[in-house]
Amino acid sequence: MAGVVAVVLVLVGLPLVLWHWRHVTSVHRYPPGTKMVTLTAVAKGGVWTRDDIVGLTYWWRKPTRIGDVPLNQGDHVVVRLRSADVLHSFAIPLLRLGPVDIPAGHTVDVEFDAKRPGMLTFLCWQVCSPEHPGLHGRFVVKGNEQEETW
Amino acid sequence: MVTANPIAEATVPTEALEPPWRFNLFARWPWLKRLVRMRSFQFLVILPNLFMFYLFIISALFGTPVGNRNIIIVFVWILWWFMLIAVLVPFGSRIWCTICPLPFFGDWIQRRAVIRVRTGKSPGTENSFFGLHKRWPKRLSNIWLQNFGFLFLATFSALLVTRPIVSAAVFGILFLVATVLALVFRLRTFCNYVCPISGFLSLYAMTATVELRSVDKDECLKCKSKACIRGSDKGWACPWNVYMGKLDRNNYCGLCFECVKSCPNDNISLFVRPFATSDVVVRGYDEVWKACIMLVLALTYSVMLLGPWGRFKDWANVSEARNWAGFGLFAAGQALLALVIFPGLYYVSIRLAKWYARADSVPTKELFLKYAYMLVPMGLLAWIAFSVPLLMVNGAYIISVASDPLGWGMNLFGTADFPWTPLRPHWVPFLQVPILLTGLYYGLRGLHKVGRRIFTDPAQLHRSLVPPAALLVGVTLVFLKLFIG
Repeated sequence: MAGVVAVVLVLVGLPLVLWHWRHVTSVHRYPPGTKMVTLTAVAKGGVWTRDDIVGLTYWWRKPTRIGDVPLNQGDHVVVRLRSADVLHSFAIPLLRLGPVDIPAGHTVDVEFDAKRPGMLTFLCWQVCSPEHPGLHGRFVVKGNEQEETW
Repeated sequence: MVTANPIAEATVPTEALEPPWRFNLFARWPWLKRLVRMRSFQFLVILPNLFMFYLFIISALFGTPVGNRNIIIVFVWILWWFMLIAVLVPFGSRIWCTICPLPFFGDWIQRRAVIRVRTGKSPGTENSFFGLHKRWPKRLSNIWLQNFGFLFLATFSALLVTRPIVSAAVFGILFLVATVLALVFRLRTFCNYVCPISGFLSLYAMTATVELRSVDKDECLKCKSKACIRGSDKGWACPWNVYMGKLDRNNYCGLCFECVKSCPNDNISLFVRPFATSDVVVRGYDEVWKACIMLVLALTYSVMLLGPWGRFKDWANVSEARNWAGFGLFAAGQALLALVIFPGLYYVSIRLAKWYARADSVPTKELFLKYAYMLVPMGLLAWIAFSVPLLMVNGAYIISVASDPLGWGMNLFGTADFPWTPLRPHWVPFLQVPILLTGLYYGLRGLHKVGRRIFTDPAQLHRSLVPPAALLVGVTLVFLKLFIG
């Protein structure tokens, strides 16, 4: 009976522990109110995506290209950057942020404060594939006074 | 699977049949005997492995698709592979099978227990097993399936050892097949006849420095219960269907130690013995072909994974390079070399041996089977020589992946950002050369030992050794050329 319990604990416990780490522990290491944005760079197709690119889906699922990412003025933003395949990098030139290398398979966190409303273009600074020019996106920071007119 | 050889025993001088020294570990270390006799022993050693395999499969499915940042690729194809081929097999025989989690669920369902023993009457045993109890077909009661299975996996090895999802798919299929076969057939049919890992373990375990044997064969003859193979209230029937009274080779003993628990005469022990000197008998064409396949694969893996020829890598990396014609050439070439060309060369060497030694009275089949032993230590050491740079160049990934097994950004031990650091790569050739030469030495030594069991005339013996020895030297030179240029 003890053996069966041990096996069940392993089969059930391990996924629970991993889920907890991914959705609770890794998020709550930052102060409350932090805006977390996860971006994954995919060389195949030259895409920044918010999809979860994992072993099960990488080879057959076409990732959704990111649109504009809305932020609010005053947000403290943590961008959780992942590379699904090769060495990428991340930069927001307007903020003089980066370039920050994202080695293949690594996760890198980058923080900034969205102090002013406007468009913040981010892009990959490392020539990673023939589709490298497609690796860009925008944070759209909504100003507090403009909220109602957005 | 265990038979006597009246031809050899009738012609060979007695001193050639005497086994080398061996050392009784259970007598020297009684705590070891107490440990393996614990009912919970196997479960306790398998459980951590089961946890790891589960983690590997979860990591492959939900972790990063990048191979060197995913624990399944780094821990299985760098760490486990090196440990298996360089440490566990030569020093522990089939000790991997002791802790392998693949048959766990099949055993659990068959035995309806994880630890305890059930007595009863299932065909050929004194235990109660659940399942259909079908006999595995006699025609497949050999390692041919394992030969072709391993060759098939080797054809896709460029994908298998770099893509987490491919490794997970293979392990998942092996788990499933092992479980289904346990429900349909008797005992550990999967381990005996299907598992591709078991195939080469069975061959190279012949060289190992440990063996599980009966202490006194006369006690086995007198034993009425034959509990080692039939089981008892103390232990399950041997999952490998091995009778300890006749076991004289490591090939098909999976070191589960059930017989140590069930033997009513306390007549089974673990012995230490010299490397590559005891089990020198190759018994079937399936084993000969396994030896040929493994030696050829050591060569093709070295070319594909370690060599500078990008074209061959692209041919093997079909899912990205999409060069199907090249992949076809690679697959067909590898299969041809392993199944036809190299066995053909070996056969030619045997025919030449017979002609040169004027050994018309010795059947070609006997010489073909027996002299094939020389390929066993050579093949094992060739694989070790291949695996050394694998670990030395890529071993640093083990340190980083241990902290971030799924590539999610964890840092469990603070080493997630440990950089890729090849370990003394300039030492690699200086390690590979002595390893290969050691393989050559033990191959030639085994050849000589086997030859002494066949030929009583020294001149005839030595003439018969020349052609196969020349083949072995040629193989060694090819590997040396590949490794050091």
